[in-house]
Amino acid sequence: MFEDDETLQMYIEESLDHLGDIESDLLTIEEAGANIDLDLVNNVFRAAHSIKGGAGFMGLTTIKDLSHHLENVLGLIRNKELVPDSNRVSVLLKGFDELENLLNNIDTSNDVDVSDHIKDLESITKSSLPEDKQEMVSEIVDIVLQDGRVFPQVSLFEIEQYKAEGKNLFLVEYDLIHDIQRKDKNPIEVLNSLQKTGTIIDSRIDFDSVGTLSESAGPNRIPFQVLFASIIEYDMTETLFDIKKQYIHSISDDMIVSTSVTDISVEPAFMPSKEDQKAASVVVEVPEPERVLTPPAKPVIQETQKVKQSPSKEEKEVTISAKPQTSLRVNVGLLDTLMNLAGELVLSRNQLLQGVNSSNVKATELSSQRIDMITSELQEAIMRTRMQPIANILNKFTRVVRDLSQQLGKSIDLVIEGKDVELDKTILEAINDPLTHLVRNSVDHGIETPMEREQMGKSGTGKIILRAFHDAGQVNLVISDDGKGLDPDRIAVSAVEKGLISEQQVDEMSEKQKIELILLPGFSMAKEVTDVSGRGVGMDVVTTNIESLGGIIELDSTPGKGTDIQIKLPLTLAIIPSQITSVGNERYAVPQVNLNELLRIPAAQVKEKIEKVGDAAVVRLRGELLPLLNLSEMLDIDTTYLDPQNEDELPDRRQNLADRRSRQNIITEDGVIIESPDQEKEHPKSDDPKREENDRRYHARSAMNIAVVSAGAFKYGLVVDQLYDSEEIVVKPVGRHLKKCTAYAGATIMGDGKVALILDISNLAQMAELSSVSEAGQIAKAAEEEAMAGKDKAALLTFKNSETEHFAAPLNIVERIERIQTSTIEQIGEQKVVQYRGGALPLYELSQVADFKALPEREQQEVIVFKIKNRELGLMVTPPVDALEVALDVDEGTLKQSAISGSMIINEHTTLLVDIFEMVKILNPGWFKEDAKVAAEMAESGEKILLFAEDSAFFRNQVKTFMEEDGFKVIEAEDGLIAWELLKERVDDIDIVVTDLEMPNMDGFELTKRIKGDPKYSHLEVIALTSLASEAHIEKGRKVGIDEYEIKLDREKLMKMIRQKLNLTK
Amino acid sequence: MAETTIGTSSQDLEFSTFYVGGALCGINILNIQEINKHFDITQVPQASDYIEGILNLRGRIVTIIDLGKKLGLEPVNKDKDNRNIIVNSDDEHIGLLVDGISDVVLAKAENIEPAPSNIGGVKGKFFQGVLKTEKQLIGILDIDEVLKE
Repeated sequence: MFEDDETLQMYIEESLDHLGDIESDLLTIEEAGANIDLDLVNNVFRAAHSIKGGAGFMGLTTIKDLSHHLENVLGLIRNKELVPDSNRVSVLLKGFDELENLLNNIDTSNDVDVSDHIKDLESITKSSLPEDKQEMVSEIVDIVLQDGRVFPQVSLFEIEQYKAEGKNLFLVEYDLIHDIQRKDKNPIEVLNSLQKTGTIIDSRIDFDSVGTLSESAGPNRIPFQVLFASIIEYDMTETLFDIKKQYIHSISDDMIVSTSVTDISVEPAFMPSKEDQKAASVVVEVPEPERVLTPPAKPVIQETQKVKQSPSKEEKEVTISAKPQTSLRVNVGLLDTLMNLAGELVLSRNQLLQGVNSSNVKATELSSQRIDMITSELQEAIMRTRMQPIANILNKFTRVVRDLSQQLGKSIDLVIEGKDVELDKTILEAINDPLTHLVRNSVDHGIETPMEREQMGKSGTGKIILRAFHDAGQVNLVISDDGKGLDPDRIAVSAVEKGLISEQQVDEMSEKQKIELILLPGFSMAKEVTDVSGRGVGMDVVTTNIESLGGIIELDSTPGKGTDIQIKLPLTLAIIPSQITSVGNERYAVPQVNLNELLRIPAAQVKEKIEKVGDAAVVRLRGELLPLLNLSEMLDIDTTYLDPQNEDELPDRRQNLADRRSRQNIITEDGVIIESPDQEKEHPKSDDPKREENDRRYHARSAMNIAVVSAGAFKYGLVVDQLYDSEEIVVKPVGRHLKKCTAYAGATIMGDGKVALILDISNLAQMAELSSVSEAGQIAKAAEEEAMAGKDKAALLTFKNSETEHFAAPLNIVERIERIQTSTIEQIGEQKVVQYRGGALPLYELSQVADFKALPEREQQEVIVFKIKNRELGLMVTPPVDALEVALDVDEGTLKQSAISGSMIINEHTTLLVDIFEMVKILNPGWFKEDAKVAAEMAESGEKILLFAEDSAFFRNQVKTFMEEDGFKVIEAEDGLIAWELLKERVDDIDIVVTDLEMPNMDGFELTKRIKGDPKYSHLEVIALTSLASEAHIEKGRKVGIDEYEIKLDREKLMKMIRQKLNLTK
Repeated sequence: MAETTIGTSSQDLEFSTFYVGGALCGINILNIQEINKHFDITQVPQASDYIEGILNLRGRIVTIIDLGKKLGLEPVNKDKDNRNIIVNSDDEHIGLLVDGISDVVLAKAENIEPAPSNIGGVKGKFFQGVLKTEKQLIGILDIDEVLKE
């Protein structure tokens, strides 16, 4: 093989370039069918041809053979002798794939067996020819010159083709030494310029006539033979080729001599001896000056010609060789911009230096502004050089989908949208594999066979949409198909079978969570392993890959309708927006992609909000237990170790730290690294008061700053000392000694020149064994829920009257919570009102109805707005106002008084439950006059009797009271079973059944089922009372025949519903 | 990477010498990128104990190693004589924090003797050899060995 690295490299690069477009061109050709677009075919033909031309000269026999056969087929297509149907195009595609493969592994290319490809191609060629010519296709001839030298192994078929086109054949003999090297040319260029005037059939270096080094004259000629077909006449060739006529041989028929070798694919036709190779490489090994200029000049041409070119080239390298790309094509315009910016930067630097030297503040300021601007532009421009259109990888999916759907007998349309969305080259390379996997999945598992589809009433042709778009500074990639979708339950069953999760876990999962089980390692749904997918290593690898890029993957699927997979990726990895935090006196960056929200718990609330589950701290965030990870705690141990100054004091310090750690996990000041003596002095001071506290939770002297972060499935709170700004940081790699510190994703340099570490959120979670923490949290939550399950749960709004008086009211009757300025409150007689939404809102406070303290005077006033009898009223309260879900365990006796229905313990405070209804009644008896009238009428016209089943005495009394107030008669039952017995006895009296759902002995569902299942009772309407109506509950209730759902403490609605059901009008 | 081998040629070699944990050591000057006194070091919790931290050296992140600890001697005592010797190893800049620097010593390769198994409490494997001068012994450090993780 030819051994001049640079020439070879150039050849490979050029060839790959040629191949870049071929795939999409071929697919277009296939689509067009018999209606051939000559330009396109010519494009592909020329590509094959150029590759062949160079290969001969380089001694790359396999490549030469393969491209030659490809060229033959393409030539026939070009001459409209062949129709490019899908089979033929498939063969061509495979051939070009192999060619690319060979080019990428050029060193071993001659040893690759491509006979299969060649056989296929030959059979296509032959099939288009008349019988008598078929033989010619594989026939090989030698060309014998007058002086007896031989140009061996030329395809007769090709020669005949050119002759048929009326072209003249020449054998041009360049001399590598005199004609090429001495003239500062290079063989590839020579070949390229020849291409302009004709066609190169073959080229080779005639090593046989070089002679050996031992010969006295030495090698003074290295003939570089080119077999050339052109319309140009022999006379003109001298000027054209720029060599002496004696080296140009016109080839006549008698010079073409048939050889016996016919099977060229098996036996490499031409292998120069080792010696020859050396000779060749010695001579040609001169770097050509033009070479340097060629690469940058190219992209411009390409961009204008065709945007797709460089893209597909890159994509190939990504798919075929695992090696990351080491060179990148950059638009010359962009390079010019960079150069300009660099120039400006230098100028500004000079100005800055001058300004500084002459102490000219104004000039310094100006130039620093300029530098600031230029830097931003420079940054942007440099980033742009790395940005590549996503089309690079998306385009190839046309092929992937085409091949796969053919293989699987499916019919699929692929729609690609947003091809010009640009992504950083590194990210682009890295998402190629995951994306391929996802697309293959969609084709294999997503889209059904045409038959299945038609049975389901869908069009036989499936559709896969690949969509890329920008959103919120991230690149979104959506792969959606209209296939069969994912069945959450089947996935769950599979996952349980594989032992990935327990059945118990499944019960608690939402549909979406179930679907996302397929992202677990080891998960596979495929009943059998196919070529395409189903090995159980798939989605988890995809997830890992995407997450390692700082991306997120989300699944959404509707069974029968299709699946959407959404991937969110950062634009670039080099510069990332990050939240800067600090612990001790070091800053740490938290990548924004991992950050969900920032949480600050005021000192006063730290105690109540932070809980301990086992050893782990958790915070309750919107009803979820969020495990907390204290960064300072994780880091201070080692930091202390590290500090050499404190080496001697180490045991002492450690004790001190351990001490502090148990009492107080947040170290507000520098509690970690003690370097200066005055800081040391500070410590006892700040520690002393804390030590007095006998609280093993977080100490409550400082607010707590939490960055809520998520790493994959994990979500946790990272406790830090301070939260600073969000900044764009430049990720810099850390040295090899720190590679094993997995807590960091890298380092960055802050504005002040100091280094800050970038935290690796998912590794931190692993280090802290957070999984167990979060499990502990979940167990605690589950236990809590279990404890609550037996009791009635209710959503309550808690508030205070005076600082020490805690109250709660049912959340469902609360309209809004408002904060008003005290100064806007108007006093009208006894009544306080505030202008509110165009009307006057009457304001009350609890001290008006019961024996409570008056509200403390404040500038602002929190008002809870209730709506009763279609009128709004405001209750003035003292914050904090908070919504909670609690198990009702009400003590009705101890603290009973007017407008208070009972008391219970909420968050360690005795909390009184306000009966808003009663309160309004006391305050505004007029509002209820009408009710009283209705009740009286009802009592007159004959009593309506309600059967009311409820296990909680509190609720039973509450509900019964207001039912009776409205004129109903109530039969009470303590559980479902009692209700059932009562019903059997008094079925004729009872007009309607109102039941609680969760009751001992027999629950509301069972009761309803019995009522509805027995014709004797089934005419009765059943209204279920729940404290919390969940979708699942409602669904379950509907199934057994519950007619309506009402919420226990919503008196008005319940009564309205009862009336409606009994056809009572007000 | 610069050469660290000490050949048999009689060529003059230059060694930058410095003190660490009371011992005088030397590094072939060709291995040294620069010597500075930037100590705005960022601690790296959880790193090996001999890692002093990381430093911004003109936009590069440089790991600073406490040479005293690395060699199993006393940790470098923080004072005004401290220096970072920045060496280049495997395309990476690494800083060696030393107690203080001393002269550049010229020596002939043949004057360097093989290192004994232990020099002043430091394992012999860290040294390429010892150089005897009129006044004292200089342990010539094997940078590759010292910088092993």
